[in-house]
Amino acid sequence: MNELIIETNQLTKKFSKRYAVENIDLKIKKGEIYGFLGPNGAGKTTTIRMLLGLAKPTKGSIHIFGKDMKREKLNVLKRVGSLVEYPSYYGHLNAYENLDALRILLDAPKSRINEVLSIVRLSNEAKRPVKGFSLGMKQRLGIAAALLGNPELLILDEPTNGLDPSGILEIRELIKSMPKEHGITILVSSHLLSEMDQMATQVGIISKGKMIFQDSIEALRQRAQSKIAIKVDQTEQAWRMLLSKGRQAEMDNNQIYLPHTSDEEISTVIGDLVHDHFSVYRVQEEKKSLEDIFLELTGGEGSL
Amino acid sequence: MLSILASDFIKIRRKLIWFLIFLGPFGVVALQAVNFGLRYDYLTKVHEKDLWAGLIGEAGYLAIPALMLGLTLIASMISNIEHQTNAWKQLLALPVSKLRVFTGKFLLTALLLFVSSTFLLLGIIVLGFFLKFGADVPLLALLKMAYFPYLAAMPFIALQIWLSITMKNQAIPLVIGIVGTILSLMSFRFPDWMPWKWPSLTNGWNDPLYSVTFGLVCGLAIYLIGLLDFARKDVK
Repeated sequence: MNELIIETNQLTKKFSKRYAVENIDLKIKKGEIYGFLGPNGAGKTTTIRMLLGLAKPTKGSIHIFGKDMKREKLNVLKRVGSLVEYPSYYGHLNAYENLDALRILLDAPKSRINEVLSIVRLSNEAKRPVKGFSLGMKQRLGIAAALLGNPELLILDEPTNGLDPSGILEIRELIKSMPKEHGITILVSSHLLSEMDQMATQVGIISKGKMIFQDSIEALRQRAQSKIAIKVDQTEQAWRMLLSKGRQAEMDNNQIYLPHTSDEEISTVIGDLVHDHFSVYRVQEEKKSLEDIFLELTGGEGSL
Repeated sequence: MLSILASDFIKIRRKLIWFLIFLGPFGVVALQAVNFGLRYDYLTKVHEKDLWAGLIGEAGYLAIPALMLGLTLIASMISNIEHQTNAWKQLLALPVSKLRVFTGKFLLTALLLFVSSTFLLLGIIVLGFFLKFGADVPLLALLKMAYFPYLAAMPFIALQIWLSITMKNQAIPLVIGIVGTILSLMSFRFPDWMPWKWPSLTNGWNDPLYSVTFGLVCGLAIYLIGLLDFARKDVK
């Protein structure tokens, strides 16, 4: 399973003088759901456009399925399904005709149209003009279009953008089911970490055009270890006492922080404090959420 | 190439494009019907020697602005189908080359106008019979009237497709096309090298084939320039 489906090397895109994407090394293994995260305007869409050959890189190379995008673009695109930003559709045509116009170019069988329509549960709306669709339905139609060619790699840019909670849930379940059922590798971008937390297996975080984190979601969660905060009456003395007993205590905000430890350990600490006549007001676990880490990594300019 | 055309033919459904293709020649024939209907005695006297040639000449004159305006509108409508929801990004992320996409739109426009020219040809024949100009139909002259201006207008088909595809704002190609239509109406004053004169088929050599040849060569050149420009640009 170590085969790299997408590999970019020093991928860079420069618009006049501004770097939209700078030296990005994307590495996506087969069967992963790769969450591509970053605040709005960080360069996610630009990167994805380059992956799909819609924009030419200023510098760097892209290999998809081990093939050079510059030389074998069309061969690569045959095996890729994509949805870039807001959905594109032909409003005057119905859902079936929309997919048919794309199917012909993919050389897929006609039966595939009904298959993908049923995957995204639009079979009953197939004969309605798409301009009357809700945003969620248009988005689902976009995903159906991406699935038409039986892709091995699915690239979805902000697929849940602008959807209501039930629509988000629906798309998320759809995405999660793909690698299991069809062995598809998925690259999905978002500016919402919470969303990725629930489906991605790997994450890449991009900020201001630069990749600032790329690892498994577990590695990201590791950073989210909790701390125990204790509030006492004489914080400084209590802190010194704990330090003198060899505890890794920290003082901040007029509270004492202990790294995450076992229940027994906490109870001895409390016992010590009570024994030395400190009044213990509060003992609580403080969890760093993934959002906090995200904000930390992106330097506080992330949108939630 | 056939698949991209088949795909484009699906996309122009329910867009009034086919209606326009029919409306252009129908308008020309209808105006000639009125023209000959109101001034039957006068016109049949003027064209006494050859009634058919008279009708063909009158219709051919009117067909030029219809053709120029028609190609402008068709090129814009075809491109606008993709512009509306920026379907370019979806289309070009498919395994189709930009060359095929651009050529497909160009061929589609050319094909539709060919159909339109054929409607004109048939319409004039029907009108001629109605006006009782006799069964001696001058087919060659009719073919020339219907298809020569169309071939000589190739540079404009290529230009309008290029502009309409590369610009999201269709006002610009539309204005350029409409100005071109007006220029073609007063083209008799222009020197022979000006493309707006070519659809009228008049030139110093008195041979319409010169106009047609210029049109085809120049049309091919503009198509190639447009294609290179489209292929070079990033998709928005």
